[in-house]
Amino acid sequence: MKLASRKTATADVTRRQRSAHSSKEALYWIGPAALVILLIFGYSVVSVLISSFRYDGDWVGLENFEIVITDPIFLTALKHNGLLLLAVPVLIILAFILAVTLFETRRGMRFYRSAIFLPYILPIPVVAVVFGQIYQLNGALNIFLRSIGLEPLAQDWLGDPSIALGTMSSVIIWKEVGFGVILMLAHIISLPNETYEAARIDGAGFWRTHLSITRPAILNTIVFYGVIEAITMVSWVFNYVYVMSNGLGGPGNATMVSELYIYRAAFQNKAPELAAVAAVFLFVATLILMVAFFRIQRRSIAGTFNK
Amino acid sequence: MTKSRGVKRSKVEAFFRYSLLSFVAFTALVPAYIMFTGSFKSQGEFLNSPFGIPDSPSFAGYQSAWTDNFPNWLTNSFLIVTGAVVMTEILAALAAWGFARFPFNGRETLLGAMVSLMVVPPVVLLIPLFQFGVQLTLISTLRLVILIYVGLMLPFSIYMLTNFFKSIPESILESASIDGASSFRTFRSIVLPLSGAPLATLAVVNLLWAWNELLLALVFLQSNEKKTLMVGITGFQSRYSLDIPTVMAGMSIATLPLVIAYLFGQRFFIAGLTAGSTKGE
Amino acid sequence: MKSKKVLAIGAMALALLLSACSSSSDETSAEGDKAAFPTEDLTLNISWWGEQEAPGAQKWLEETIALYTKEHPNVTIKHVLQTTDGLIPSFEAAAAAQSGPDIQYFWGGIYTQQPGWDGHIAPISDYLSEEELSHYINAKVEAGFQGKVWTAPWYINPSFPLLVRKDILADNGLSVPTNWDELMKVCDVLSAKKITTIAGGVKDGWFGGWIYSILGGQSVQSQADVINAVVGTTKFTDPEHATWWTKLEESRDRKCWNDDINSLELYQAQQKFVDGTAAMTITAGPDAPNFAKKAGGDEKVTIMAMPAWSDGPLAGKMGTTSQTLGITKWSKYPQVAADFIKFSHTTDRLNAWYAATGSMPADDRFDISQVQSASTKALFESALNGAPYLENFIPAQLDADAVFKNVQLVLKGEVTAAEAAADKQAIMERLRKSDRKLVDNFTAWAK
Repeated sequence: MKLASRKTATADVTRRQRSAHSSKEALYWIGPAALVILLIFGYSVVSVLISSFRYDGDWVGLENFEIVITDPIFLTALKHNGLLLLAVPVLIILAFILAVTLFETRRGMRFYRSAIFLPYILPIPVVAVVFGQIYQLNGALNIFLRSIGLEPLAQDWLGDPSIALGTMSSVIIWKEVGFGVILMLAHIISLPNETYEAARIDGAGFWRTHLSITRPAILNTIVFYGVIEAITMVSWVFNYVYVMSNGLGGPGNATMVSELYIYRAAFQNKAPELAAVAAVFLFVATLILMVAFFRIQRRSIAGTFNK
Repeated sequence: MTKSRGVKRSKVEAFFRYSLLSFVAFTALVPAYIMFTGSFKSQGEFLNSPFGIPDSPSFAGYQSAWTDNFPNWLTNSFLIVTGAVVMTEILAALAAWGFARFPFNGRETLLGAMVSLMVVPPVVLLIPLFQFGVQLTLISTLRLVILIYVGLMLPFSIYMLTNFFKSIPESILESASIDGASSFRTFRSIVLPLSGAPLATLAVVNLLWAWNELLLALVFLQSNEKKTLMVGITGFQSRYSLDIPTVMAGMSIATLPLVIAYLFGQRFFIAGLTAGSTKGE
Repeated sequence: MKSKKVLAIGAMALALLLSACSSSSDETSAEGDKAAFPTEDLTLNISWWGEQEAPGAQKWLEETIALYTKEHPNVTIKHVLQTTDGLIPSFEAAAAAQSGPDIQYFWGGIYTQQPGWDGHIAPISDYLSEEELSHYINAKVEAGFQGKVWTAPWYINPSFPLLVRKDILADNGLSVPTNWDELMKVCDVLSAKKITTIAGGVKDGWFGGWIYSILGGQSVQSQADVINAVVGTTKFTDPEHATWWTKLEESRDRKCWNDDINSLELYQAQQKFVDGTAAMTITAGPDAPNFAKKAGGDEKVTIMAMPAWSDGPLAGKMGTTSQTLGITKWSKYPQVAADFIKFSHTTDRLNAWYAATGSMPADDRFDISQVQSASTKALFESALNGAPYLENFIPAQLDADAVFKNVQLVLKGEVTAAEAAADKQAIMERLRKSDRKLVDNFTAWAK
């Protein structure tokens, strides 16, 4: 008993020493990366904040904020980012279905896997340009639909403001789904053999097996993928929109997103202060999103250390 | 794939599976097919029969595309991607090891703060970084773009590698420290060799991102000689809007390096992409 | 001029907000002053656009550079051809950096005024004599500001001609429409036969601005009316500014346009005219002669102004604007840049421009009598005494956010003419608040 407690005490001391020592050492390891991050992010975020309160060199308080927050185009842009988030569950479900289907397939699996993954590696400007052609009113998709007698389904995919955002998100889904498939498939393959033993004995069906066994087993990967895609929808859709709408976010404002709003304010409309305000809003929105995700999934950063 | 499969397969099920997979594979491949065949067609043929095989294949599109600065753009993209990916890899591995291995006060907070930066849209950083580049007279230099790319890729890279390093069994590392190996030696001779897969993942993810990045390159590389491939081909679309085959030829050339890399290194691509994200849980 | 030395790195963001920096520019006129011409090796950068609307411009520019640098061996000139969507953003980036091109391409009117107001342009009138500038067409109205001239007109853009295929009309028992109602009747007949009357593409927006100028221009007295609506003394919902939206609506209802107008870009759509699947199209002025030639020349094609729907003084009249070259504030060799611009206006270069592009250089020393085609000649003459090109007298942001987009929506049937006008007025009101100098600038310009 006594011995044991003394042992813990010494262990405590060494741990504490180690901790003091290690925080110094950690600095050496983390320092260089932290410096670059500080330079790129820290500096930028601070100066964007400062810019958002100024106009033409003068401090104007919340004036810029008032202008941006009452701008219907900005609100539309935010709404569209929100709508694009709806594509995330679609992506997750599609990727999951495809991953388990591939997992159950032996013959030709490699071919299908390669094909499904291909869109993910294509450059976005290329994808956007090619789809821009395909989705024209007299483009490939409608030619195809008309040829198989589905004329009523032929739409002005990118020219009709009521569906343009949906069309845009279909392109994003087309490109991003392969990534999810590969992630999930690899995780499923790496699951131990015994995972499915019980189901096999039960004679459980395809969907029951995968929903009740596979889904929880690869939940981490699903969440990881969901987070990455949510970030994509809010912060990385500029390339698609810029190329497919000729930098306008049209028709009307149907495909305006916050990134494009900021770009246009800064480089088209000569209003860097308004761009800065919009950037602050977008920054806060993405942070909220990030925190929400980690909360919901109880997978906070701290969690990664408490294994 | 030698692993035994989950569920017993029935004929009907197999039919549905293959139908689904074929449909999806078809959808995935068609745009690339249209692009590639389109690059050999004439304008009229492209517009009228986008799905057909070119009647009399013509290389005119490639000719006009290639003479339009392509070699230059390719070189720039190659230099930027290589520089940025290598630097990110090194910095991220060091930092991730620091986070994973050395507990210190505020570690979670610091890592959390860093990781949350990966959601910051690059467009937010555009204006200040531009000013920054101006002050250092680095606008239109590859160096600046590489630095920015490294900064942008680091948060995710550190996050991913930290997760992986945490998963390395303590026992392996302890045996090394008992041997009296310095922490750098442990890192170099034990940790790194174990990390091939996640490092490859990272390289692949970052490579794809950097190769495809448009916004920053558009703003920061103003001079014609410094443009990247993505900036180049984006301008292509508007310059040759009346000559779709040339646009498609340009797109094909821009895609080719990735597709070749993918076909030859497919196993590595896919293994890399997946290993890190699953093992690191 | 606001100038502030920004030293601390943390205060760098300020620099962007200070629109102008005090780069010391030589105030001495370089005109005819060969002694001031630098002898050291130097490089000029030109950032330009125009190959798209005036094919052959690049060839001409390269030729001109070669000739100029042969005369001045110490000068090297590089040029970058910008994309349509990239022209303004790349200049804004350069302006923020206060470095970049020495000579920059600007569209006329607001597109040259705004950078002038922002302090990014060294006025060309500081470097070229009044006599020289007096030959440049459209310099005063569009590029002039309080006695100064910002940029030098390069070539003329008759804005915007309607190209009509007489052969297609004749095949359908129609003749060239002389007013709006006749045009609508042509639409009725042709649309019944599934032929597009006018080919257009609004996906990239620009065509919306063109339509505004050629339809909206018919109900105002002059550009001053438009500036009044911009600064707020009148409204864009007033009949003189709003009626044209109903004409656009009418043209949609009468099925004048190609069905895929919303999914095509401007230049793509015009090809339908060359292909013979559309009876008419509207092209960039410099490009009109080429289009006419491709579609069969004067025999088959008429080049004309948009048929009139009103009896306003500008109705039925061709608009005119000049695309310009300007010297940037940060250029180290403004006098060399000006000298190059002057060189590009020598008779040999003016003729070479016409030879290379088939369009008209913006200089009254160009001899129109060398033009063979009657329709081209008429086009050039109409542009010499043309109507103001309205799009160039409203803020660029209003153009993009209100005109481009509402034209897209009206053509798609998403909004009515009244809603479009109301939206334009609302955006204008917002713009007066967000661009806090707009009213002062436009008021000063109108004087």
